[in-house]
Amino acid sequence: MRATWAARAALVPVALTALLGYLGSTLWTAQMSVTASRTLPSDHFVGMAQYVRLFSNERWLLSLDNLLLYGVLFISACLLAGSVLAILVDREIAARGWLRQIFLYPYAMSFIATGAVWQWILNPTDGIQAVGRALGFSAFRFDWIVDPDRVLLTIVIATAWQASGFVMAILLAGLSGVDPDLWRAARIDGIPTWRVYTSIVLPQLGYAFATALVLLLTGVVKLYDAVVAMTQGGPGTASEVPTKFIMDHLYGRANLGLASAGAIVLLVTVLALLAPFLYARTRAAASIA
Amino acid sequence: MARLFKPRMLALAVLAALASRAHAEPAAAPARAEVLHWWTSGGESAAARTLADAFRAAGGTWIDTAVAGSEQARAVAVSRVAGGNPPTAALFNASRQFRDLVDQGQLTALDDVARQGGWDRVMPPAILDAVRVNGHVYAAPVDIHMTAWIWYSKAAFKKAGIAAEPRSVEELFQALDRLRAAGLIPLAHGGQPWQDSIVFRAVLASVGGRDLYLRVFRDRDPRAIESPEFRQVLLTFRRLHGYVDAGSPGRHWNDATGLLVAGRAGVQIMGDWVRAEFSAARQRAGVDYGCLPGLGEHAPYVIQADAFVFPKNRDAATARTQALLATTVTSPAVQVSFSSRKGSLPVRSDVELPSPDPCVALAAALMRDRARQLPNDEMFLTPDQAGAMADVLTAYWNRDMPVETVQKKVVAALRDDL
Amino acid sequence: MRRASASVGRIVLHALVVLAALGVLLPLYVMIVTSLKSMDEIRSGALFALPQAPSLAAWKDAWSHACTGLACDGLHAGFANSLWIAVPSTLVAVALGALNGYVLALWRPRGSNLLFGLLMIGAFIPVQVMMYPLVRALGAVGLVGSLPGIVVVHVIFSMPLMTLLFRNYYAALPVELFNAARIDGAGFWTTWTLVLLPMSAPMLAVAAIMQVTGVWNDYLLGLVFAGHELAPMTVQLNNLINTTTGTRNYGVDMAATLLTSLVPLLVYFASGRWFVRGITAGALRG
Repeated sequence: MRATWAARAALVPVALTALLGYLGSTLWTAQMSVTASRTLPSDHFVGMAQYVRLFSNERWLLSLDNLLLYGVLFISACLLAGSVLAILVDREIAARGWLRQIFLYPYAMSFIATGAVWQWILNPTDGIQAVGRALGFSAFRFDWIVDPDRVLLTIVIATAWQASGFVMAILLAGLSGVDPDLWRAARIDGIPTWRVYTSIVLPQLGYAFATALVLLLTGVVKLYDAVVAMTQGGPGTASEVPTKFIMDHLYGRANLGLASAGAIVLLVTVLALLAPFLYARTRAAASIA
Repeated sequence: MARLFKPRMLALAVLAALASRAHAEPAAAPARAEVLHWWTSGGESAAARTLADAFRAAGGTWIDTAVAGSEQARAVAVSRVAGGNPPTAALFNASRQFRDLVDQGQLTALDDVARQGGWDRVMPPAILDAVRVNGHVYAAPVDIHMTAWIWYSKAAFKKAGIAAEPRSVEELFQALDRLRAAGLIPLAHGGQPWQDSIVFRAVLASVGGRDLYLRVFRDRDPRAIESPEFRQVLLTFRRLHGYVDAGSPGRHWNDATGLLVAGRAGVQIMGDWVRAEFSAARQRAGVDYGCLPGLGEHAPYVIQADAFVFPKNRDAATARTQALLATTVTSPAVQVSFSSRKGSLPVRSDVELPSPDPCVALAAALMRDRARQLPNDEMFLTPDQAGAMADVLTAYWNRDMPVETVQKKVVAALRDDL
Repeated sequence: MRRASASVGRIVLHALVVLAALGVLLPLYVMIVTSLKSMDEIRSGALFALPQAPSLAAWKDAWSHACTGLACDGLHAGFANSLWIAVPSTLVAVALGALNGYVLALWRPRGSNLLFGLLMIGAFIPVQVMMYPLVRALGAVGLVGSLPGIVVVHVIFSMPLMTLLFRNYYAALPVELFNAARIDGAGFWTTWTLVLLPMSAPMLAVAAIMQVTGVWNDYLLGLVFAGHELAPMTVQLNNLINTTTGTRNYGVDMAATLLTSLVPLLVYFASGRWFVRGITAGALRG
């Protein structure tokens, strides 16, 4: 179909957003990253000096490690929990409409709102550990949030709590598209229900999983609110993440140059990881049309 | 729908025009001042109201923009300056936080206000130095906080059989040991980076002493940082970590104070705002809790100040409004009413607080002894250096590492900016 | 035998579901019971216990008395602001998203793929990174601190997701529909408004739900771009709960948090069914 002028004109707002907003901001940030800008932009050119500083900064390197580990754990947790919830709600059970809403509600809440509660629940002296011990399990331990080696797991728990319901919704949508004949055939063959799900149904949900994966990935890169609200990057610097590094340096630490270098490195890393995936998806979409 | 869509865009454009007009008008009115600050809790809010009321009595109108969290509030101030839409006044700490804004010519100088108010005579030199750049005054200090008090619960000390207030580091550790032996949390600490830094500064001032404090923070002298004395400061700091409870990381300071209130913990090292939390729990200074400004008769103490800066505006009337506001918030009467509500000390030495409790009286007496005053590290360090220092300290506090490594990291954190 | 094992299976299934639901509800439960307790009771530390003397005082405080700056009239002023921001931000973003999706899926002018790729990359740029340049750009045209300013910013940040949703939705529709409309002589706008939009209800619901909650929960953009007169509820909430050196009342904090979350929670509880149905209706293909 030949595109009319109207079609092109209709794309002007989104093109402006993409070019001026996203591309423009990125180029501006790249430019700032080679200057000695502090509180306000400056054009004092310093070459790659900010990048050198960035990669000699332990907190930045730790942030990148944390993000990678967090990303793997968070995405696995969400996909697993989302699948389990979707399958549970997909079965003929009582009050499934209610259950679906219950599993979905955390997605409606921001961490500005829920961060404090998570901090309390996970805190060993007030939260779950205290309850466990009060019930008589004196050796019960659940103190990950104060343990520098395990604190990331608590961020995974809280953020997966928020996002799993959303993954469930996407997978439920996929499940409703599964051919009912398949279930009939499986029942006749006497295959146990859980086997049907794991070997036949879930593998059919490729698109649903891909969509969930992309949306979760954007959440991983942007991880900020949950960390600030729950741990402020602590204990020590154990749960620091790149966006927090960038944000701290952009404003509180008045180092626009270093913050920009961090932003560019983060973006380039994401693009490098993402490029093959996006390319394949765009090609696939093009070939369908 | 296509037709519907266009009027919507049109409506948006009209709205845009209206809003920008509505926005332009208040700036033209002479004495309207939009004030950006981080005083949002009950006591802070009451204190801010005394400033606003005084400003109204002087013929101004205070337009309030409050953003909780000092760092967030400053972030908004800076982005508003960058976006060409600055507030009339913005709260900062008397420190190097606004130095770049001064260097780029973004702030109104307050030299006349300072001269007429006799700031040189009545304000502590440390604070004045922090708001003066190249001989010009760029911020109006409104309060003084002593940031590193040692607070203790009298009930906890009694339970642990501690008769006298500790007067040296060794006595402090003995007290902490006895508190632990009595089954209490010795040191109630909120494990957040800024609170870790407060404990560190208290140790540096009390253990390292005035000279070392200045050589490290003011001179950023690598030899001082690598000295055995500084090493001892770091080790003492880390030794204190052995006295906190498991729930400490991430805890808010007020929850740590709550542990003292409940008699579950003995000691907390924190700024003078702790008093508000004690009063909220109906505890009295000298009766239920005690306060030490430092360890020993002549220990130095760390001071910090909040100060308003006044971004330049194209409108000439704004400078007059800003001068009026700066004069008002630093005037003697306002200083008294503001400080007693905020729990801080007046920034002027020529006023007296009415009926102070024993801790406030002690603080007011101390403030006359300027030789013991030490400026908060942020008065010497760029925000980036101060932040890097906080990163090193919080990492060390939470994970033991060789003290030599920490010394090297401190040297690196305090090196020159690009 | 089979029957017995089946019913055992169903019991296990139900037990699992109930357990998962309780776990998911735990944070909400803690927030609600804490909001009904006095500060003394909260200090005593029984986090999960029911309140001894339940009281709505904290809710009243949060709505109309708590200090969030100079003013101490609670969060209610921010509620109207949030609504005022959320409605246009949602209408404009969803309308533009649908339009973009329509063009990118069905008209595909040259450069569509590149534009879409750029947009998808945009989805990965953290808001914080774009803040500074956006402040300067919008400041230059005098839009910082105004309703149009905050609406434009919300629309910019929602563009990738909104476009993605509708592009995939329209791409999954039978292309014959589109062709038939074209053969009947329908133009660009009529095809969209008369043929496609009427079929888009499920996706309009999904997009609107996501956009309303996203805008409502936003704090950072509202803080920087809305200005003091339009500060949304989340800014007031943050002022209430995130004071650095001021004292805190956790009961009021929790009541305020629940009040602020009320709109998105209601949106999800009331329309969660539409949400799942809308996603089912085709958001996944393409």
